[in-house]
Parts: sequence; C-alpha cells; structure tokens
Amino acid sequence: MVRRALAALAFMALSATASAQQPTESLNDLPAAVVEEQITVSSDYRGSYVTVFGVNPDRRGRGDIVVVVRGPNEGAVIMRKRNFYGLWINGDPVEFAQAPSFFAVLSNRPLRQIANAQSIWQYQLDPAASAQLASAVPAGADPSAYRRALVRLRYRQGLYQSYDGRARPEADRGGLTMYQGGLFRAVVRLPANAPIAQYYADTYLFREGRLVSSQRIPVTISRIGVERRIHDLATNASWLYGIVTVLLALFAGWVAALLFRRT
Amino acid sequence: MIYLPIAEMPVNVLLVLLVSGGVGFVSGLVGVGGGFIMTPALIFLGVPAPVAVATGASQIAATSFSGIMTQTRRKTVDWRMGLLLSIGGIAGSGSGVWLFERLLRLGQLDLIISILYLVLLSSVGFLMLSESYSVIRGRTKSGVSILRRPARTVAHTLPFRIAFPRSGLYISIIPPLVLGFAIGALAAIMGIGGGFILIPAMIYLLRMPTHVVVGTSLFQVLVVSSLVVILQSAATQTVDLVLAALLMLGGVIGAQFGARVGAGLKNEHIRALLGVLLILASAKFLFDLVVPPEEQYVFGGGLW
Repeated sequence: MVRRALAALAFMALSATASAQQPTESLNDLPAAVVEEQITVSSDYRGSYVTVFGVNPDRRGRGDIVVVVRGPNEGAVIMRKRNFYGLWINGDPVEFAQAPSFFAVLSNRPLRQIANAQSIWQYQLDPAASAQLASAVPAGADPSAYRRALVRLRYRQGLYQSYDGRARPEADRGGLTMYQGGLFRAVVRLPANAPIAQYYADTYLFREGRLVSSQRIPVTISRIGVERRIHDLATNASWLYGIVTVLLALFAGWVAALLFRRT
Repeated sequence: MIYLPIAEMPVNVLLVLLVSGGVGFVSGLVGVGGGFIMTPALIFLGVPAPVAVATGASQIAATSFSGIMTQTRRKTVDWRMGLLLSIGGIAGSGSGVWLFERLLRLGQLDLIISILYLVLLSSVGFLMLSESYSVIRGRTKSGVSILRRPARTVAHTLPFRIAFPRSGLYISIIPPLVLGFAIGALAAIMGIGGGFILIPAMIYLLRMPTHVVVGTSLFQVLVVSSLVVILQSAATQTVDLVLAALLMLGGVIGAQFGARVGAGLKNEHIRALLGVLLILASAKFLFDLVVPPEEQYVFGGGLW
C-alpha cells in the first residue's frame, strides 16, 4: 500500500524535481570521506566495498544519517511474460530512459521515519525515484507495476541494496554503523556484476524530517592492466580484436593437434 | 577465480576448464563442434547469453581447427564440398549476426534461441536415436549393418551438377550452398558450430560417404565460427578474450582425448548416446517455455 502511494507521488514529484537532485542550501557541514576513491579492477576482481566515514556535526547527535551510493543512470527495458498458445513469451515492453545501474541506500532507521515521501522522491533516496519512463505503457498495464518490477529485478541481481538500521550490519553485506560522538560508517558491497563506471557516494543529514546538509563524494571504478587493454581493444578496435581472437583460436587448435600427435 | 573483462564477472577457472574439457571430449568423440552444449552451459554458469554465444564460437573455431588437422592427415576432408558449404556459410552467418542484433534489440532473442534449440535438438535427437537403434538391432540379428540410404535425392536432380571426387559424388551445387547458408545463420544466432545438424544432413541429404563427413563438416564449421567471432566482435562487442582462452584450453584438450576414444568405439553407439543427450537437452528447453514463470517481468531489449 505504501509503495503504491509512493509510486503515485513519484509521478507528481518527478517532472518537477528530477533535476533538483542535490539541495543547494547547506546549513551545516557534514564531514564525510570514502576509504577508497579509486577502485581498480584487475583479473582477480571479485567485487569490492565502498566504505564511507562521516561525522554528524550536531554535538548532541540529533538528526538522521542517510548514505546513498549511486551508479550512473542508464536506459532499461522491462518486458512482461505473456502466454501465447501455451508458450511464455516476452511482450509489452516498457522503456525507461533513466534508471540507476547501481543504487544502495543506507539509513540509521527506516527511511520513511526519517523523511516524508515527498523528500524521499525529491532527493531520490529510493531507486524507483530515479527511474523515468521513456515510452507509453501498453494499454491496460499498470506503470507502477513496471517500476516495481525494475527495482525488484535489480534487487535480485544485487545491484540495488537497502539497509534501514533494523538489522546488525554484516561484514559481507554491509550496513550503517553509528558510533559515539556522531561518527558513522557506511559499508556498501559492490558486487562483481556492478558496472565499471563513475559512482557517487552521497551523504545526507536529516533533522525532524528536513534535509539539513549533504555531501557528494565521487568514487571511480576502473580497469587496470590486462583487463583494461583487452576491454580497450574490444571497444576501440573491434575488428582487430575479433581477428586476434580467431588467430588465438587457430593457434590453440594447432598446438593441441601437434602435441597430441607426438604423444 | 578470474575476472572476465567483457562479461564483467568473475568465474571459477577450474569449473570453466572442466565444462569446456567435457564438451570438447564429446565433440572429439562424435565430430560435432559441441557449441549446443557449451552455450547453454556457459549461460548456466551465469555468463550473459550474448557473450556466451559469441565467445563460444571462438572455442568452436579452435576445436574444429585442431580436429581438421587430424582429419587432413587421414585424407577425410572433401575440400570441394567444404568450400561450397563455407561459401553458403559465410552468407548465412552474416545474415545471422544481423538477425541476432535485431532480435536482441526486440527482446525476443531468448525466445527464438529456446524454440530453435527445442525444435533442432529434439528432431535431430530422435532421428539419430531411431537410426542408430535400427542399425544396432539389425547388427545383432544378422550381423550386417543396414544403412537405408536411397540412391538418389533432390541433390542429384537439380542443375549445376559437378563432381566431388573424394566423396565419389556427382551432385548439384545448390543443396550444399543452401545447407551451408542455413547452418551459418543458425551458428550465429545459437552459438553453435552446427556440426550436429550438418553431419546428418550431409549423410541423408547429400548422400556423402560417412568417412568424409566429419572432416568436411569440421572445415565448414571452422570457416563459419571464425567469421562469427569477427562479426560479433565488430557488431555487438560480446567476445570475451579471457573466457575464450579458457574455453579453448579445455576444449582442444578434451577434443583430442575424445577423438582417441571415439576411434575405438562403434559409431552407432556414439550416435545413440548423442541422440539421448539431445532429447534430454530439448526437454529442458520445452520445460522452460511452458511452465508458468515465477517472475512475470524480465529485462529486455539490451545486451544484458
């Protein structure tokens, strides 16, 4: 029920505030930093972690902390399975012009207790808030169902994550830990299938439902070494790359035939 | 574990080597490219389907090249026939890669792949099984192998007939060209070499003698799969070099062992085994197509 209400609100809020992602007013500073601003991908890459440290400037520790780690927005298409003479086929495509390729939101208590639905959509603290429809929804289909499906599928892939402070932060799945003196630490697990791109870690301080302060820290994930060379060759000189692969194949076949002939 | 730069995921090196080695073994045993097992196996390991299809082709190229060197020494390659099949295959794989890209964008690639696998695997499987069953039964009864091959087919009546000395045939060039085209198109879309369709077609449609069929089909498979790798690299950029290297390593070693074991086995037993394998695989595709999906919505229309 609440999700549905949120989705309905989204349509009103989206058109007006999609561009206003970052608040311009900043009453207090929110000191925050990431442990690794550069994450490198080499042949032993198995995913990584984004760790954000920060301090709530309020001495009495009032206010709520929300940390969002975002990947770049990309287009996406969601299709619905239809039964066609006994076979389940993909149909009714709905295109999203923009959807976060990665989205992790962490807060010290459930997000809806921290901010109202409008703020959640305005600052895009929910992955569905950033997803913008590009094409018309097929007749009779529910647009919010497609939006929910997009979010659900990405959650299943581990590309969308949320932590609302109710469970203990775990080493492998991450979470938000509050320490004494206003210090907090947010850990986000970046799965290996998360796109290799420019990420942003955004830290928000809410007090009594209002955004007091926020900070954006860029986190870059990039390939290095052999991984980088292979990827660059595949994208920049794709014909050459294909020919190299075939030559490698022929060489492998030739070596094998030669080796096994002798023995 | 090693990270794949194009598929953008880590895989277990030993697992990939084991799978590709197993597929290579079967391919060496029967003389098929093995792509029809390799591609679904890679998808099962979590490799995105387009990457699995395109990268699988490079492993097929390696395996077929290694196989063809062995076959050339045994003089079991009909080069003239292979060339005709390849010319058809080149045109076919070009069209196939184009269609692959179109279907990918429409979000219907998975469906088409499933249906094609279902139809081809089940029909070829049943054909192989029933044929080899009757041979095995015939042999135990009378001790004589009966291959019911009619003397003349459509290949003998169409125009543009030329001689194929190594196969001992005098047939039209149209059926090999059409056959090559069809296999080439299927190879590009399904990530297969096409040997498992090509071999029965050469035996039953073109009436080629069995001893030249494996070598000649390998030649066509080599040409087509090499072309598919280059075209897919250029068109969809889904060929993963690291994954390809792993598949080749496992595939060529497996194929050599398979060829050795295959030389000492009875042909119809191998074919009966492969027939059962194909029917089992097609049952899996049928199951996925008719069972109501748990998740109604899917991603579509993109590379991933």
